[in-house]
Amino acid sequence: MRPQHWLYTIPLRLRSLFRRRRVEQELNEELQFHLEQKIEEGIAKGLSPKEARYAAMRAMDGLEQRKEEIRDMRRIHWLTDFLDDARFGIRSLSRTPGLAAFVVITLALGIGMTSGTFSMMDALIFRPYPVPHPSGVMTLVSTTRDNNFDDFSYREYLDIRDKTKSYEGVIASADMEAVGFSAEPATAPRIRGGMMVSGNYFHVLGVEPQLGRGFREDEDQVSGRDAVVVLGPDFWKHEFASDPSVVGRTVRLNGTNFTVIGVAPETFPGMMIFGHPDLYMPLAMAPVFSTNPQKNFFEDRDDRELHLRARLKPGTTLQQAQNELAVLAQNFERDYPKVSRGRGAAIHTQFEMRTRTDDVNWKFGVIFVTLALAVLLVACTNVAGLLLSRGRARTREIAVRLAIGAGRFRLVRLLLTESLILACLGGLTGVVIGYGIVQWFQSFQNVIFMTDLPFAIPFRMDTRVLVASLALSLLSALVCGVAPALQSTRTDLVNGLKAADVDMPGRKRLWGRNMLVVAQVAASLMLLTASFLMVRGFQHGALEGTGFANDHLLMTSFDPRLMQYNAVQTKQFYKLLAERVRQAPGVQSEALTQNIPLGDDYFDGVAFVPEGFQMPRDRENFSSMMDTVNEGCFETMGIPILHGRGFLESDTAEAPRVAVVNEQFAKHYWPREDAVGKRIRLDSSASTPVEIVGVAQTIKYHLTTEKPTDFLYMPLAQHPIARMTLMLRSSSDPLQLVRSVKDVVRTLDSNMPMLETMSYEDFYLNKAVEGPRIAMKLVASMGAVGLLLAIAGLYGVVAYNVSRRTREIGIRIALGALRGDVLRLVMSKGILLVGMGTVIGLVMGFAVEQLMNSMLFNAGGVDILAYVIVVPSLFLVTIAAAYVPARRASRIAPTQALRYE
Amino acid sequence: MSKPSDLVQGTLDLLLLKILALQPMNGWAISQRLKQISGDILQVSDGSLYPALHKLEQEGWITAEWKQTENNRRAKFYSLTRLGRKQLESEAANWQRLSSAISHVVRLEEA
Repeated sequence: MRPQHWLYTIPLRLRSLFRRRRVEQELNEELQFHLEQKIEEGIAKGLSPKEARYAAMRAMDGLEQRKEEIRDMRRIHWLTDFLDDARFGIRSLSRTPGLAAFVVITLALGIGMTSGTFSMMDALIFRPYPVPHPSGVMTLVSTTRDNNFDDFSYREYLDIRDKTKSYEGVIASADMEAVGFSAEPATAPRIRGGMMVSGNYFHVLGVEPQLGRGFREDEDQVSGRDAVVVLGPDFWKHEFASDPSVVGRTVRLNGTNFTVIGVAPETFPGMMIFGHPDLYMPLAMAPVFSTNPQKNFFEDRDDRELHLRARLKPGTTLQQAQNELAVLAQNFERDYPKVSRGRGAAIHTQFEMRTRTDDVNWKFGVIFVTLALAVLLVACTNVAGLLLSRGRARTREIAVRLAIGAGRFRLVRLLLTESLILACLGGLTGVVIGYGIVQWFQSFQNVIFMTDLPFAIPFRMDTRVLVASLALSLLSALVCGVAPALQSTRTDLVNGLKAADVDMPGRKRLWGRNMLVVAQVAASLMLLTASFLMVRGFQHGALEGTGFANDHLLMTSFDPRLMQYNAVQTKQFYKLLAERVRQAPGVQSEALTQNIPLGDDYFDGVAFVPEGFQMPRDRENFSSMMDTVNEGCFETMGIPILHGRGFLESDTAEAPRVAVVNEQFAKHYWPREDAVGKRIRLDSSASTPVEIVGVAQTIKYHLTTEKPTDFLYMPLAQHPIARMTLMLRSSSDPLQLVRSVKDVVRTLDSNMPMLETMSYEDFYLNKAVEGPRIAMKLVASMGAVGLLLAIAGLYGVVAYNVSRRTREIGIRIALGALRGDVLRLVMSKGILLVGMGTVIGLVMGFAVEQLMNSMLFNAGGVDILAYVIVVPSLFLVTIAAAYVPARRASRIAPTQALRYE
Repeated sequence: MSKPSDLVQGTLDLLLLKILALQPMNGWAISQRLKQISGDILQVSDGSLYPALHKLEQEGWITAEWKQTENNRRAKFYSLTRLGRKQLESEAANWQRLSSAISHVVRLEEA
């Protein structure tokens, strides 16, 4: 019935809307026809034409009212009224173009900042997985005392996959790793990003390859049997020029032939935020790729290298799945106490994973969005203040409208339509600004990711961000439009008609305006404090230094697994490499290290028990970050050894095991003794002891802003690692060494790829200086915009108040008040407001400081200097904003002031 | 004011639909016909006729067309749509039920 109904009514409504004039004309004609008939009838009855006409009109009882009534029947009133309002709004705004432009720019800045940061927040947090029904995909994590987000081992994965009933499927994926790829067997391998995934990966996620097929489950069952690979969409496009015949072709990965079986669809760049894998291989091919050489990937339950995700069955709750998983984890603890003791498991939604408190992206995102919202708040209060003043200037217009019968609701609607127009213009301009911010972020692609792997900045201005910005514009239209609209339609008619600009008796109206000033000062003080803290925090980190010498270093990485080296070959390779580069011209010293300081990769963790240390009853061992280095490391990296010694060539695999710890570590476990000579046991108290032979200075390991942290070094000879980075100290430009290193490598293996070869100083500057500088710039510009807006707003409001009191001031001066008195009168009000704003802003700033300290910086406590600089300068600026109008007011000649208005 | 005086709410719609069910008509003719068939008992002012017609049109129950009258003047002629015919049936049935119920009650009181 309904759709059939619309069939008739929709064309009618459209006609009423778009052929308005025609419809009106027809209405007139119709009524005219009726009247004429009626008049003819009257004349026939013997009335005079004039009388007949009069009678006909009277029978209509009000022709125009009837027409209105008929128009109401068309049911498009709300829309035509809105269009009328909009037209009127545009006309009345264009009468004050300066004010309109200022409002639009103000809102644009606020909305632009917010939509720019929201695009960031969206990419990091809210954007769903690029798979069908993404909300059903959960992440499973292994939990320990120290790490709530640990990975699982292959054996654990199989158990979880086979023994749970809550899921449609459980999938596993390893980290994206460097893979040596060559399209033809003969060509030298290049580095691409490959990820090992379980056989059911694409199937469970619901991702259909755009070409060929995904993995079959049987392709993930026998170690090393099924050498098949699925290509990522971008990789297929760039490497194979979207050639559809690629399916079935053989490519070489790490020296092994693989058959291409499919290409992932365009819509699936991968499950990670930043990384977009080029190649997907089955887990069963692990022997070809990078797994922990100390462990057996397929057998060792503590070789935890897999991220687990699962698709929840419809109707199964998260709690049910969690309970099931907890039982399984308890079974693991019982059956494998040696490797699973104290280990639980948990299930998290995508949102929970992305908002985990140890995630630095999330922290930055929260801080940026908070600050951007503060800018928007300042902008909105600013605009609200302006609209309020505008409403006052229109008192007479509004009074006239009310007097001739406009309803208050209708007027509020009109005024709200005006602020809606402003907000839409501001929103559009704001989106352009936001787009600029996103582009600006994008331009740092190469700064942020200095790696050969396919990482990309995921921020973009997509529909989601656009919709959010639009919603934000509408919201701000309401926020800054409602109060002024309500207030200016609450006019006293009699007074309103008499004067153009009068005040209602009472203080209520002033109160709202004063609140605006206080809010602005407070919000901008908070913004300034935050940006100042950010700058100071990074400066503090930079001043403290990194603890090592980062100049004149060349770095280049090797992964002999790419060339199918076994453990013995790998050891031989690094031994010869170190020996030969040391002899190369221009090389002062060399180092081999598993991870570079301040690099993108995480350091390995190590579990240990310090000898002679009273273990707390409830824990098995402690853990610390660690790095594997060779004997040249401390000298080459310029890390001073404070006590004892560094590693020596005599610390061979056969020699007693040794380790070097950092000062923080030593103080932590042996606060009153010398750590040198103490022993620790790895994993548990039953294993072979490792003697601490030296204490190195604590340096910055991950971030220049980090707190001092425990750290342990192990010698490469006793703790073999496949992927190592060679660091060379040079007396001149380190990049000049590249050629001689290449020559040396060629004598060892002409096909061995050199990965991520660059000057460490460049890397350091980009990573530790340029990256934070981007964040600082963003926050500082927010602070600056906030302050500018606040000053403009404050100036506007105070100046407006003064001009409103011109007559009063004139009377005061006429009665003998001195200029100083007037100045004091006007200023005291401004100062009071600024003072209140400052107090609130200080409280808010303090809260933000706590937040930022706990999230980003190691500087504990209050940064007094920030307040000593920020507060008085803001106070001075705002007082100046109050002073200018006050001075003008005090100079008014009384005669002029009394004639004012 | 705009409500048809002395007419039960909604009856005007029924009357108009019924009149138009017989033949397409213009507004003036409808007003004449209303007077004619109901005598002076049902008074529908010219003023309330047109809003009612437009409402029926917007509901999709009647549709309008410009045609020549007998004496060669252009006028807007209304006619019933398929939807309007259904509406007429249901409203007429309603009216039957209502009026018989009311007259039943009225007779009860007399007895």
